[in-house]
Amino acid sequence: MSDRTSPSPPPSDLRAEMLEAAKALAGGATGTGRGATSDLSIDETLLLHAAGWEPVDLVCGVSVASVPYGVWNWGQGEIVSASESHNLAVSAAATRLREECAHAGGRGVVGVRVEIEVDPHHVDVELTGTAIRPLRASPGKGQAADPFVSDLSARDFTLLQSAGWAPVGLAFGAGFVYSPRRTAGTALRQSGQNVELTNFTEAMYSAREQAMERMQRSAIAMGGQGIVAVQVTEGPMGFARHAIRFAAWGTSVRLQGSSHQYVQPQVVLPLDDVVVAFEAESLRGQ
Amino acid sequence: MGTPGGAGSVEGADDLPEAADRRLGSGSFSSALTVPDFAACLQMGLQPVGLVQGFCVMQWGWYGANSPYMRGASPYAPSGGRGGYSATWQCPHGFVSTEHRMWGQNYEQSWVEAAWAQGFGSAYTRLVEEAHAIGAHGVIGVVDRATHLADMGVTEFHIMGTAVVVDGGPPPPGGQPWTTYLAGQRLAKLVEAGFMPVAVAATMASVRVWAYCVTEYLMEGGSWAWSGGPGTQEVDQIIHAHTAVRRIAREHVRQQLAGDSLQGARLLTSARRLSEGDEVIECTLRGTRVRRVRDADPLPTPRPTVRLT
Repeated sequence: MSDRTSPSPPPSDLRAEMLEAAKALAGGATGTGRGATSDLSIDETLLLHAAGWEPVDLVCGVSVASVPYGVWNWGQGEIVSASESHNLAVSAAATRLREECAHAGGRGVVGVRVEIEVDPHHVDVELTGTAIRPLRASPGKGQAADPFVSDLSARDFTLLQSAGWAPVGLAFGAGFVYSPRRTAGTALRQSGQNVELTNFTEAMYSAREQAMERMQRSAIAMGGQGIVAVQVTEGPMGFARHAIRFAAWGTSVRLQGSSHQYVQPQVVLPLDDVVVAFEAESLRGQ
Repeated sequence: MGTPGGAGSVEGADDLPEAADRRLGSGSFSSALTVPDFAACLQMGLQPVGLVQGFCVMQWGWYGANSPYMRGASPYAPSGGRGGYSATWQCPHGFVSTEHRMWGQNYEQSWVEAAWAQGFGSAYTRLVEEAHAIGAHGVIGVVDRATHLADMGVTEFHIMGTAVVVDGGPPPPGGQPWTTYLAGQRLAKLVEAGFMPVAVAATMASVRVWAYCVTEYLMEGGSWAWSGGPGTQEVDQIIHAHTAVRRIAREHVRQQLAGDSLQGARLLTSARRLSEGDEVIECTLRGTRVRRVRDADPLPTPRPTVRLT
């Protein structure tokens, strides 16, 4: 990245550019061809452009998978059906996102927004992002055989690419587990004591590991060598407080060349003072 | 259903309140811009001339018991609205009972979309009318909201922004001010990248799901009984509806773009569950329609930095 950095351009005359743009619009300039749609910010769009990519289309992938009746009743160990529903919904939504991307002529999707809702009887997954392609790539559809999917921002995507890595897909893993019960005798014996609840520790430890193991397995299955920007969500289900959900996901990545490229960041010493926030309490002499 | 955003005519929409005329003619300007955005605005040669806004309060009666747009009498009939998306599912079980849902249907509620477009479009037209009345060339930093007033079955649309004049610039095409959700440095970057905002673009899509037996059972947790397998499967009818509502919203906004691009899109979806499997899914899509007015070279490759602070 740093090797290819060109000198900063001279500061632009914003006033002249605005005037020129207003004149062009008033002069009857019209849209050309099929414009892009994107949920990227203008900063992200410019950054992608600098890195040789351009947005193509806003794309979505959705899935709803059923959860069988009765699985939330109190039991022991993992709630297998709920875990399966979660993983099915996520993988199906990701597949649809890839299909929309390929249909739009994109080579991949960045900035994917992940929304997962777990209902007592179904798991809803919505993935939304912007399909992108290399600059000046042919606008023909269906050319990308296997587009990548990533929840990385355009900034992180660009940095990842400059380090010699490429996103492959979204790696997901989830596990649901029942809060284990203690016998009445055990509860009485442990009452009022500082004691580790080993059955809780083991159950939750295991569920976390299962979710992360599934995530890593899905990354390997899609050809990834690792996962970056992993997010982990966990907590009891609102409708079943004795059931706890663990979910982990991140962007699976693969090295493009033979080795990692060091980005060699430039050290910057800002000379501006950090803004000191005004404290209202100071008015009272405190 | 597309809104008139960007394509609406200000002529003939002379329905602003008297207070608006007095405020806009007071000789001073007001602006919703932050101070940094205000400074950037002046730096770009944009002179703020007034805070402009548009309102519209709509009463929608499409969900009432007497709505004429309830489920069709036949699974083979077209959707309840005028054209648009429609799909039908048939029960695989044959006759079971009179309560058994032997068919299901998804359809686009084009009258809902039209009502939303009317509300948003009217508010937008009034905003543009105010801007036009004070001689503005454009409106920047547009914000909009749709507020449901509780228990009244009404929705208020409110759009506002800061009207600006381009120093030395020509009047906008057709005398209709351009509009954008962007302001400040984001607007400056957009212009520097060779784009010019044309109009805010906003649209809404609505799909009604009438579940058939399989969808109903799956959505109420009956998948074990019907699948005979591990008890987990996708709910095709609901997925179809969710996919369709997003596709329709994007198609509608495409119609507004007319070859331009949509920048900074915000796609939001909500589902209102009426019973197991029966639901109304709505999707709104907003963004700024931008037009490329000149080619721009890519920025220099950014240099990674580490701040010693």
